[in-house]
Amino acid sequence: MTDCERIQELIPWYASGTLTEQESREVTAHLVSCEACQEELALALRLKRRVEADSQHLPRIPDAAWQRVAAEAFGRPIAKIDVGSFLLGFSFGANRKRGRIPVYGDLRVLGRKVRLFNVEREEST
Amino acid sequence: MDSDRTLVSRVAEADEDAFREMYDRFADRVFRYAFTLLRHEHLSEEVAQETMVAVWRGAKRFQGRSKVSTWIFGIARNKAFDMMRREKRGDRTPDLDLVTPDPAASLLRAEAVSGAMETLPEPQREVVFLTFYEGLSYGEISGILGIPEGTVKSRMFHAKRKLAEVLA
Repeated sequence: MTDCERIQELIPWYASGTLTEQESREVTAHLVSCEACQEELALALRLKRRVEADSQHLPRIPDAAWQRVAAEAFGRPIAKIDVGSFLLGFSFGANRKRGRIPVYGDLRVLGRKVRLFNVEREEST
Repeated sequence: MDSDRTLVSRVAEADEDAFREMYDRFADRVFRYAFTLLRHEHLSEEVAQETMVAVWRGAKRFQGRSKVSTWIFGIARNKAFDMMRREKRGDRTPDLDLVTPDPAASLLRAEAVSGAMETLPEPQREVVFLTFYEGLSYGEISGILGIPEGTVKSRMFHAKRKLAEVLA
C-alpha cells in the first residue's frame, strides 16, 4: 500500500476529527505536499457537510415513545408515597408490570436516588 | 451534567431519573441510527424502544471497556438486525401499545430524505452515518459492527467513490 493509499483511508476520520493525535499529525504532514490527498480531503469534507445537511430531514423519535419505554422498564405506577424533601427523603411505591407487581423503596439524598429494596410479587387474579 | 459513564452507573442502581436523562441523550440518536439501517419509521421506533429498555435492564453488566455510546449503538444494531430477520420471516409480534404512525406523514418525511445516502448499500451507508453524523472513530465503528478496522475503511472508501459521482 502506497503512502497516499494509506493516508486516503484515514482522511474521512481526519475530516470528522476522530483520529489519534499521532495519525492526525501524520495526515497533516502528508497533506502539505500532496495535491491528490488534498482533493480527497475536500471530497470528505463535502461528504460530511452533505450527511449533516441530509440528517436534518431524518424523522425524530415521537415524544410518546418515552411513556412506552418507561412502562416497559419500570411498570405502570399503581401507588407511590413520597416522604421528606429534595435533600433527604424516601419514596415507596408499587408498579404493575407484565402480571407482576414490583414494590420498591428509594432513599433520596441531594436529588440522587438509591434503591433500598425491590420485591416482585405475582399479581393476584 | 453527569458523564455518560456516571449515568450508566446510576441506572445500574435503578435510578429512574438517571434513566430518563440517558433516554433524552440517546433515544433519538438510536432511532436515527435504526432509521439509517431500516428506512422505516415505525420499526425504527420499536428498535429505539427495545434498545433503551435493554439499557435499563443491562446497565449492571456494562463493564466500561468501551464508550457508553459504542455499547448502546451495538445493542441497537443487534435489535435492528433482529427486527429485519423477524420482518423477513413475517413472525414479528406487533407491539399492541404502539400507536400506528400516520402513513402519509411518514411517506412525506421519507421523500424528504435526500438521495445522496440512498444511493449507498446499507453496509456503506451505516459507516458513513456513524462517521459523519455520530462522529465515531473507525475503531469504535469496528467495535459496533464487529468487523475488522480494515473493512470499515474499505466500506468508507467505496462509499466515497460512489458519492463522489453524486456530489460532483
